[in-house]
Amino acid sequence: MTSPDSADAPLAGGPPALEPLLRLRGAAIRHEDAAAATPSDVSFEVRPGEVVLVLGPSGSGKSTLALSLNGLIPHALPAHVTGTIAVAGMPASETSVAVLSTHVAMVFQDPDAQLFTGSVMDEVAFGPENLRMPVEEVLARSEAALRRVGLWDRRAENPDRLSGGGRQRLAIACALAMGSPLLVLDEPTANLDPAGTEEVYVALADVVADGDRAIVLIEHNLDAAIGVVDRVVVLDQAGRLAFDGPAHEVLRRNADVLLAMGVWLPTATLAALRLRDVGYPLDPLPLTPAELREALPAVLEGVRRLRTSAPDQANFAASVLMPRTSPDPEAAAPASAALSSAPLISVSRLTVARHRRPVLHDIHLDIAAGSFVAVIGANGAGKTTLVQAIAGVVPPPRGRVRVADLDPGRASPRELSARVGFVFQNPEHQFIAHTVFDELAHGMRLRHAPEAEVQERVRGMLDRFGLADKADAHPFLLSGGQKRRLSVGTALIAGAPILVLDEPTFGQDRARADELLGLLQTLNAEGTTVLIVTHDMQLVAEYATHTVLLADGRVRASGTTADVFADHALIEAAGLRPPPLGAALRGLPGLDGVIRLSQLPPAVTP
Amino acid sequence: MTIGTFDPYAPSAPTSRFLYGLNPLSKFAGPAPAMLALLFVRDLATPLAFLALSYVLLLVGARITGRLAAMLLLVIPAGVVLIGFGFAVWVDPMQVDHTVAVLRVGGWVLYTGALEVGFATALRLSAILALALVGGLTTTGADLVRAGVQQLRLPYRIGYTALAAFRFVPRFGHELEMIRSAHRVRGHHGGHGPFSRLARGWGYVVPLLAGAIRHAERVALAMDARAFGAHPTRTERYRMPFRARDIVFIVLFWAASIALLWYWFPWQLGGSPRP
Repeated sequence: MTSPDSADAPLAGGPPALEPLLRLRGAAIRHEDAAAATPSDVSFEVRPGEVVLVLGPSGSGKSTLALSLNGLIPHALPAHVTGTIAVAGMPASETSVAVLSTHVAMVFQDPDAQLFTGSVMDEVAFGPENLRMPVEEVLARSEAALRRVGLWDRRAENPDRLSGGGRQRLAIACALAMGSPLLVLDEPTANLDPAGTEEVYVALADVVADGDRAIVLIEHNLDAAIGVVDRVVVLDQAGRLAFDGPAHEVLRRNADVLLAMGVWLPTATLAALRLRDVGYPLDPLPLTPAELREALPAVLEGVRRLRTSAPDQANFAASVLMPRTSPDPEAAAPASAALSSAPLISVSRLTVARHRRPVLHDIHLDIAAGSFVAVIGANGAGKTTLVQAIAGVVPPPRGRVRVADLDPGRASPRELSARVGFVFQNPEHQFIAHTVFDELAHGMRLRHAPEAEVQERVRGMLDRFGLADKADAHPFLLSGGQKRRLSVGTALIAGAPILVLDEPTFGQDRARADELLGLLQTLNAEGTTVLIVTHDMQLVAEYATHTVLLADGRVRASGTTADVFADHALIEAAGLRPPPLGAALRGLPGLDGVIRLSQLPPAVTP
Repeated sequence: MTIGTFDPYAPSAPTSRFLYGLNPLSKFAGPAPAMLALLFVRDLATPLAFLALSYVLLLVGARITGRLAAMLLLVIPAGVVLIGFGFAVWVDPMQVDHTVAVLRVGGWVLYTGALEVGFATALRLSAILALALVGGLTTTGADLVRAGVQQLRLPYRIGYTALAAFRFVPRFGHELEMIRSAHRVRGHHGGHGPFSRLARGWGYVVPLLAGAIRHAERVALAMDARAFGAHPTRTERYRMPFRARDIVFIVLFWAASIALLWYWFPWQLGGSPRP
């Protein structure tokens, strides 16, 4: 025991000041190959019943911190740990993972990586069995845990048959069955679609409802998490503790600082910040769409009375909806679409089956040159199949798809790669060469381009994507963001006017997702047609000019993003959720139909 | 994906057929000596007898599913015919040219002796396979591991980790499919023929391995987090009893094996070659 106040409290009749489940004092963790410790100097406590959200920019050590809470760091992954990390009074770095597992249970990001057995029941029983509990106790715990997350009726099934959200709920049940009072979840919804994410948070809300368990949560999707969180702990870029306090207080008081640090905020808060910058006094800052919606009418009313220049509704709406600066997608797209008479991509009567199971039914779709198109839909709706057919990754039936002047059903990969660049979900999958330079040069060398031209184009691409100093590195040794940029570069180097990306932000943190989307927007502004598959509805709302909504292999809606998102019932019926901002502003005078932050008044007041 | 169809965890439906009531180990221990002996057998009758024995056991003791029927009535007979003729053609004619010729094509002759050698080999292989199916088709992977842990004192860390590794198979199959299409999109073809195919396959290894190692690391962390390997033993919820009937099965199987080998005695110790 490291300090006098950590004596084990007896179970019965706990004193008012409960022993914290978790206590960190000046905790710092340095990986063996790292120069500096991240996190460094972190102190906070977690008590029973609390839900603590850990925020911080990419690289601040959030995941490292999570892994140290049950001793996986340093026991399974060597690292230098200094300061105190005490779990129920026991120092985590000196207690075995097995002992700590009964105090701290973990849920990881990838559902597939935390399932080991053949049935839902065996999976939950796995932990208690390892703890050598008697069979009756194992069964009792498993049943209680499965009932808690609503999977008891499916106990005999193979976990593979559950949806992504279902498998993550199973992982939560497995954590509950360990009997630990503290649950640590590291990005539990990063791999899920919106419905799955909601499922997980409903289950978590139920877990904390009794108040006997605490949760430490790492999550970038604040819109989903904010409903269950009581407290926020923020780490800064260097991994030091920046803020620790009640969620609403920390987020409301320090929203500007957090934004500058690169911490993601709830969409409603971002919208409010933007409105506040132009003189709409939103105080306190809203954290949820509902709060924003509640606060807006009064604020708008007040401003309208003050403003003499824009008295009537129409003018007000016009001022609010004024297009932003030049690369505003909505403004740019119709212009370029109008320029080309024929669509750049045209799909008609496309039906595709995989393993004799129909995946796409009779798809009709036209995509104009210069547009930024998002393909959305629940898991299994056929999104990936559709874009793979368009890009010829899996050649479609002949005569159904036309991309520029080619039929991907007939064209050779070489011809096709000059028209469409395809970026896979995992950039590593498409790396072929042994250096970054050769990776970029590969496509041109296949076409027997003169070496001087190859050199010039590749150098240009390296500079553009910030990879110039990595030209001789092996592609697998790049960082995650660099790998992603390289994969976009290789897709574009042949001069393809169309870029197709399959869930490029899947399982990535916000900063990396933003970096990529910024890059795509620049490319789109320069004329590249972008086609993207994603689950992130706010991202779609922010960037896509057009949206295609798929459900059960059919196109349910396609058109401008604003039009598609205007029909909330349709979006919900397809198993998705409307983007948070659109949901908040729906039906408000002058703001109905606004779905992206850039549609809010510009940051500079006239 | 064909790899995905094999599910090592698939539970066996409740049934009264006797093979399911036996300990997995006895279903392998029973046929094992016969399988070993068959490796050294050269005649036709002995493998045929063992083939018949395993067919009887499977038809009586196992649930007749489409898969079992297809295996017994199509795959094994077709295998025997194919391998039999294949080996018959392959046999050195000089060794068997004292036997009767059945077929002449130009200067090439097929002798009965060659057919006999070919079919002896084919029957031998299928008899070994059929004996393995007695246990293989009536046991789940999980039960085999449990029996190994409970009766053979197989360390459970090895057994259950191996079982968890089965989950990797469909995942890697899917990942390989993704890598192949990714490389095809990049125009990474490099020509036809076995060598370029080999070179192409090598290109898949690095991304596949990188993904596999990362995945295995995550799985290992998740297992540690749930106290796997914390104690020298773990609770076994499913008992795999080794009962009297298992001993009876093994003893009967061994006795039958000895009887069959005795009767056909296929080794011709110092005797004259059979006609």
